[in-house]
Amino acid sequence: MAGGAADCQFWETWLNTQCRLHELRNKERISVAAASKILANLTYSYKGAGLSMGTMICGYTKREGPAIFYVDSDGERLQGDLFCVGSGQTFAYGVLDKNYKWELTVEEALDLGKRSILAATHRDAYSGGSVNLYHVTEQGWVYHGNYDVGTELWDAKDREQSFNHIVTSIPS
Amino acid sequence: MAGKDCIAIACDLRLGMQSVGVSSNFEKIFEYDSVYLGLTGLATDVITLSEEFRMKHNMYKMREERRMEPDTFANLVSSSLYEKRFGPYFVGPIVAGLNSKTGKPFICGFDLIGAIDFAKDFIVAGTATDQLYGMCESLWEPDLEPEDLFETISQALLNAQDRDALSGWGAVVYIITKDKVVKRLLKTRQD
Amino acid sequence: MEILEAQSTASSQPIEHRFNPYSDNGGTILGIAGEDYALIAGDTRHTTGYSINSRYEPKVFDVGDNLVVSANGFAADGNALVDAIKNRVEWYHHAHNKPLKVQSLARQIQHLLYRKRFFPYYVHTILAGLDDEGKGAIYSYDPVGSYEREQCRAGGAAASLIMPFLDNQVYFKNQFDPATQQYRVRSYLPIDDAIKIVRDAFSSATERHIHVGDGLEVLIVTKAGIEKRYFPLKRD
Repeated sequence: MAGGAADCQFWETWLNTQCRLHELRNKERISVAAASKILANLTYSYKGAGLSMGTMICGYTKREGPAIFYVDSDGERLQGDLFCVGSGQTFAYGVLDKNYKWELTVEEALDLGKRSILAATHRDAYSGGSVNLYHVTEQGWVYHGNYDVGTELWDAKDREQSFNHIVTSIPS
Repeated sequence: MAGKDCIAIACDLRLGMQSVGVSSNFEKIFEYDSVYLGLTGLATDVITLSEEFRMKHNMYKMREERRMEPDTFANLVSSSLYEKRFGPYFVGPIVAGLNSKTGKPFICGFDLIGAIDFAKDFIVAGTATDQLYGMCESLWEPDLEPEDLFETISQALLNAQDRDALSGWGAVVYIITKDKVVKRLLKTRQD
Repeated sequence: MEILEAQSTASSQPIEHRFNPYSDNGGTILGIAGEDYALIAGDTRHTTGYSINSRYEPKVFDVGDNLVVSANGFAADGNALVDAIKNRVEWYHHAHNKPLKVQSLARQIQHLLYRKRFFPYYVHTILAGLDDEGKGAIYSYDPVGSYEREQCRAGGAAASLIMPFLDNQVYFKNQFDPATQQYRVRSYLPIDDAIKIVRDAFSSATERHIHVGDGLEVLIVTKAGIEKRYFPLKRD
């Protein structure tokens, strides 16, 4: 979720309701394609009204396998296996593109996701605070914690000798 | 910030172009012997003015054969800024120092065309002024000793800059007493 | 008659007139949640521009079911929203014949605000109550209904002055102990400490913000009910 906080929060809880109703009606979980299309149709119907949302809908179904859809308030809907959305997206893409490969293990993917967001929170003034991590499996999602950027970035700097432009002593 | 026979001046280290952080080592405090100038605003004007004041300060020292007092420097800043009344430098300056004769703390701030704001407690400037006013007004008390003044100004700056997207990326604090100046680099969050 | 010269009194440029449905009535509010209480504090000054309309116009309200709400910003919208909320609470009783929980009212308020997404209530809203475990709960909203549960939140004219102070004194942000090399860990504040912080925050905001002052009214929610306390603020 990125953009208007209320727009994202409201319509994504609404999307959740629609998905649950699908489940009750069809005795089967909704596909990622269908779920994302519900939201895309909604945003398209409001096109021009001034909604502001950039979203990713991630899921894992038998039929589709792992799938990510990008949906925004212009009514755009794209499928892909790598997206970054928001004011810091370019910075996140920078890290992600360098290190991404299809063969990533779950742990590696989790670390890379966190590291990409970390880079974005650093350079982008409008991103920051903390990083949330989720792993989406066929059984559902697994929460992998909340990481405060305040400590996480210094840890990353120490661990991998990165972020070397950050000064740690007064030049004499 | 003024304390008991001491003053403190602090700044963040961020230089950015709108949302993008460009440098995390852009100091906004400049020393002129025992007078300290804090300059926020348009980076090019910050650099230009700090060098112009360096020149004017040196000229004064040579002509007068004595050091410049903080209040004198404040008036120099004010008149220099007013010279550009209709094409101003986009800056928010503050001046701090101890008077070399009386030892009394002197702090003041300016608007971009040179109007002086004398204060006996604290002066704030930059993009996080609202946040800094809130912090300083609630944390500051009269006659703080140097170490307590350090803690006060640091907490004020740190918590204020954390609530401003355009401030942060490191911080520097100067604690100035009659016979010692301590400069400290604070470890801050980097987002 | 032959007209030799005419001078128009109307300006040659067209003037656009427009009705502005909003205004700003200043004021500031603040909510803190503790282990077994939650409070909302608000100043009682009501302004438009540089004028003070009233030195005592309460804006923190008991909406029933041990829940407290304040909507700060444009007072007319704030009052309309609080009325709508009270109405919701009443009709919930008619429909379900049981008390409304704080999480439920929280979601109701989101819908009330988002219903006016394209002509918003110009307010920053805070809701206080006790959750299922009896712990203090503060929910805060933006004008169009984005909301979050928090330990504390400042809203309104002087929010930008008070919020960093709250980060420091309630969340203990940036409080680092060099001896142990540890940051101070977050914990619940005793009610007396919370009141002290609230009073400091408001007296500081009053000092530096012209739209804040006159009086401070605090509504404290505990399992015993809602207590109302008043403290004077500077009136200049």
